[in-house]
Amino acid sequence: MPEFTGRRLPIYLVLDCSGSMSGEPIEAVRQGVRALLADLRGDPQALETAFLSVITFDSGARQVSPLTELMSFQEPTLEASGSTALGEALKLLELAVDKEVRKATPTQKGDWRPLVFLMTDGQPTDAWEAAADAVKLRKLGNVIACAAGPGADVNPLKRVTEVVVKLDNLQPDTLKQFFRWVSDSIKTTSASVAQVAADGPIDLPPPPPKITIVP
Amino acid sequence: MSKRSGQTKDGRTVEYVEVPDPPMGGMKKVYFSPDRSYVVAFFHDPQAAADANRHARLDAVLGRFNPTTDPEAGEYWKKLFCWPTGVLNRPTLGVVAPAYPPGYFFETGPFKGKEKKGKWFSSPKLRSYLPEAERGDWRNYFQICILISRAVRRLHQAGLAHSDLSCNNVLIDPSRGLSVVIDIDSLVVPGMFPPDVLGTPGYIAPEVLGTTHLPVRDPKRVHPSARTDQHALAVLIYEYLLFRHPLRGPKIYSAASAEEDEHLGLGAKATFVEHPTDRSNRPPDLRPTVADLGPQLADLFGRSFVAGLHAPDKRPGAIEWERGLVKTWDLLHPCLGPKCPSKWFVLHGTTAGPCPFCGAKPPGPVPVLRLRKEVRPGQWLPDANLVVHDAGLGLFDWHVLANVFPGERADRTRRGYFARHQGKWLLVNEGLASLTSPAGSPVPPGAAVELKPGAAFRLSKEPNGRLAVPDFLPG
Repeated sequence: MPEFTGRRLPIYLVLDCSGSMSGEPIEAVRQGVRALLADLRGDPQALETAFLSVITFDSGARQVSPLTELMSFQEPTLEASGSTALGEALKLLELAVDKEVRKATPTQKGDWRPLVFLMTDGQPTDAWEAAADAVKLRKLGNVIACAAGPGADVNPLKRVTEVVVKLDNLQPDTLKQFFRWVSDSIKTTSASVAQVAADGPIDLPPPPPKITIVP
Repeated sequence: MSKRSGQTKDGRTVEYVEVPDPPMGGMKKVYFSPDRSYVVAFFHDPQAAADANRHARLDAVLGRFNPTTDPEAGEYWKKLFCWPTGVLNRPTLGVVAPAYPPGYFFETGPFKGKEKKGKWFSSPKLRSYLPEAERGDWRNYFQICILISRAVRRLHQAGLAHSDLSCNNVLIDPSRGLSVVIDIDSLVVPGMFPPDVLGTPGYIAPEVLGTTHLPVRDPKRVHPSARTDQHALAVLIYEYLLFRHPLRGPKIYSAASAEEDEHLGLGAKATFVEHPTDRSNRPPDLRPTVADLGPQLADLFGRSFVAGLHAPDKRPGAIEWERGLVKTWDLLHPCLGPKCPSKWFVLHGTTAGPCPFCGAKPPGPVPVLRLRKEVRPGQWLPDANLVVHDAGLGLFDWHVLANVFPGERADRTRRGYFARHQGKWLLVNEGLASLTSPAGSPVPPGAAVELKPGAAFRLSKEPNGRLAVPDFLPG
């Protein structure tokens, strides 16, 4: 394997694996991650630049997959249980970005701004406010938050990012569409990333029918 | 999945198979015909059908600017372009185009079934994932570059510009040395229809990237044109021959952000990685370089990325690339180095090798035919070189006659081939009417001329017929 020296597009999937996701929804998320990986591995632009990490949260948060290039990425084991520690997840995201994403410096080429997809189906159960403000204030990356299903609370997500989408339900087909849209967004971004202004918004493809952008 | 039909502007009914998740590009979604021989692509934008400019452009692209309907060379151009064959106006605005031939989809390996976009082959990282058989040898990349230059030359000859030439819009098949230019429907005619694309990062000309902050109608804003195509073409050729980007080097242009660094590094401050005097963007391990590609290509790359990088008027035209590549093609020599990744190299200068890819030297002296043309009766001037080997190819009309160019109309019948026999190099006549030995006697088809150092002979006695002088380069 040659050493990869180009800029990377870091992708963080921050996934809610609380007890309410158990059963069909968590299985749909597993399949969604699998499909996302297969799709991105077939796209030359994404394969060249995108690196993927998965952070899960329930009663706590852990980075189940460190930032890895797509071909060597090992699918994480996702299990649903416990509560919804959104604050922990956001703190861990901040730590991971600080540790893994190369900054532009006078002597080093930096990575592209990370693309973060945050998905939750419920209400945070920990102290999340300070962590949410930190993510937004630091402009950690382009964060797309997803309130999945009827039980998800949009407001905490709005505090994290401007870009919030809502899934009507947690049906396998809806989650499948969501992951396909995530994949399309990553492909679009990896193809156009050099055109984006440093702190400007990225262009996302229009979401499919069961996903609505929360104004 | 269900069969649907649409209607073209000229009244034809076109069938296609609707699927729930069709492949999508930035502007269109694509469905196959029931027999998968053609595709229909519908514009996402519902306003597209109301855009008179778009209609006029599509009509022009299918009509008077269409090379594939040329009675003489149309069939040739059909292989180099995936040119639209119809405009649909029902159920909504779309275009009909031929499906890509099967050679443009991976046949083996982890990406089986995926389109062979150029990116797969020019990126060292992606190349490392490809099976050996899909990577092709270096000579095939040379041929691909010739075909792309020829296609762009044809567009420019007609006054068209592609406006978004990139590794995404050119499919290549390195295992066979073929290429096809796709996404033809966004072609631009300068002064007639405004370009509606900016281009693809990495291929956008510096002056376009450097003026994106200006409003679209600002007179200082630079739009895609034939001049910017010339930049994109040079980048593609550089990438396919050297497997690296000509402007992405180690230089840091901005410590503020990756985005700003890239914007400057490919735009206003862009610096060629092989700039002869400004070495600020030069990677530490730059081998091989443009100098290893022979004098013609070294000059063209210099004009593209040194003199013409920020001076669009100085960039070489597509026809110059086509000529330079064709001339250099005749200098290719097989490399027998057991570990050579390339299998071919450009043999130029006064010695044969070493191969710039692996360092191996060809065994024994290598014959080169120094070709001369008669500029005045009795006065012969050098005008081409042909490196002699027995790994296929041979002698064609464009070697024999000084006024023949191997373009789209050329007769591609081989007229002679080279063979090594009992330690001697022979030119075997297959179809040369007036091949003459150094001593002046006719050499009919089936017979051969032995190549001896300095022993000149006529390839043809017709007008424009060339003289060949064998030269043996030490290994």
